[in-house]
Amino acid sequence: MAPVVQCMSLTKTYGRKIALNQVYLNLERGRIIGLLGPNGSGKTTLIKIMNGLLKPTAGEVLINGQRPGVDTKLRISYLPERTYLQPGMKVIELVQYFQDFYPDFRVDRAYDMLARLQIPPQERLKNLSKGTKEKVQLIMVMSRDADLYILDEPIAGVDPAARDYILHTIVNNYNRCGSILLSTHLISDVENILDEVVFIKYGSIVLQAGAEQIRQNEHKSVDRFFREVFAC
Amino acid sequence: MLGKLMKYEWKATWKLLLSANLLTVVMTVLARGMVYLMDKTPYSSDFQMVDFMAIMVLFTYVASMFAVFVGTAIYLIHRFYTSTYGDQGYLLHTLPVDTHHIIIAKTLVSVLWVMMNSLIIYFSVIVLFATSTEIVKSMMEGFVDVLEYMSKEKISAFVVIMTIVAYIFNLFARVLKVGACISLGQLSSNHKLMLSFAWYIGIYIVESMFQGVYFAIRSAFQSQTYPMSYVSGFGVDWETTLIAGIFHCVIFYILTWYVMDRKLNLD
Repeated sequence: MAPVVQCMSLTKTYGRKIALNQVYLNLERGRIIGLLGPNGSGKTTLIKIMNGLLKPTAGEVLINGQRPGVDTKLRISYLPERTYLQPGMKVIELVQYFQDFYPDFRVDRAYDMLARLQIPPQERLKNLSKGTKEKVQLIMVMSRDADLYILDEPIAGVDPAARDYILHTIVNNYNRCGSILLSTHLISDVENILDEVVFIKYGSIVLQAGAEQIRQNEHKSVDRFFREVFAC
Repeated sequence: MLGKLMKYEWKATWKLLLSANLLTVVMTVLARGMVYLMDKTPYSSDFQMVDFMAIMVLFTYVASMFAVFVGTAIYLIHRFYTSTYGDQGYLLHTLPVDTHHIIIAKTLVSVLWVMMNSLIIYFSVIVLFATSTEIVKSMMEGFVDVLEYMSKEKISAFVVIMTIVAYIFNLFARVLKVGACISLGQLSSNHKLMLSFAWYIGIYIVESMFQGVYFAIRSAFQSQTYPMSYVSGFGVDWETTLIAGIFHCVIFYILTWYVMDRKLNLD
């Protein structure tokens, strides 16, 4: 079976600035993969290209062997780093929205997660706090049975307790046949759930290895190793 | 998926825009009531309270009509921008839907609102001026005169229908033009809104130049002068207006689709 993600000489430039520089990357199925790199390293650019929100300057990305399009969007569940919800919508309307557009959306799973967080379905999104909105968004994304979950900085800007809830939600709700690509620079918080890590620096992939492999070969945590690789 | 996109586009816009149209109705009733009150008040050369109230109500009526009309346009433009190229675009463009469906859904809903808005304002003005049976009668007579003129000039029902069709196409063209300019603005990494505005001005100048050339050529071959049509600015004959409308629709649609499908560049 083809890798869930294949990047071939993927390049993205903004004027003279190179955001991604000839990236070659294969991501296998059934794994939780950390896309790790400092701010401005090209993580979000790579993720946006996978989701069809940006067009590459050169090269190609394939999701399930297909270029980004309607078919790949059916199989990717994407959590952006920003809030994309319509403020006037009620939570129940948002659930209906996802159900209408994504055939793999599990309504019961969404309501179950909302109930655990005591988020009233009749509440309007604009009345929720920023943190709760982010949780609602995460619940919508994790209520799908996707082939690939792409989560862009899901724990940035939230308190440690919320981080635990978010990671718990991710690990317990994803489709086990699918993969998770989790972008972050907060390595220590996510290290324990990762099967594999991809280090990205100045738009280039500098390392792709198993998390356990790094711990065994380098005799240090992924977080420690990351700090060495990206030392200023 | 087109139906679902239209459903959610309608749901996202109906509350504010329906409220705006209801405001038009309420202001029409108030203004009409004021006109009735003035009719019933005995004439006096002194400035009375009723005169002051009439001025205030009628001024508010005109201001609200203007605000509703302009506000609807601004709201629809803002809605297109935020839901397509703003933060909400992250959800819209990751839905498993075709780009054509996105453009069609947004355009259809916007055109529906503009048409509804225009019709309500037209009816409002008619209601305001129809203050007596004599005026209503003269309005009806005017309408009959138009029909007689059309009959005399052999303007068939087909021509009337095609003129309306041409008007509708031009309405679509206007909405698509705004969408195309906003989309073209996205081709820049910075100053996207400013570039959108520049595209609008640029397209307006090009359109004006083409109109100028068109009328110059036309006047060279025909002795009759045609007034500028308020529909498209291309002439009063429905054929030209229709062709211009369709041409504009196709061009602006392709431009919007090209940027949204091939050059998407969300910040």
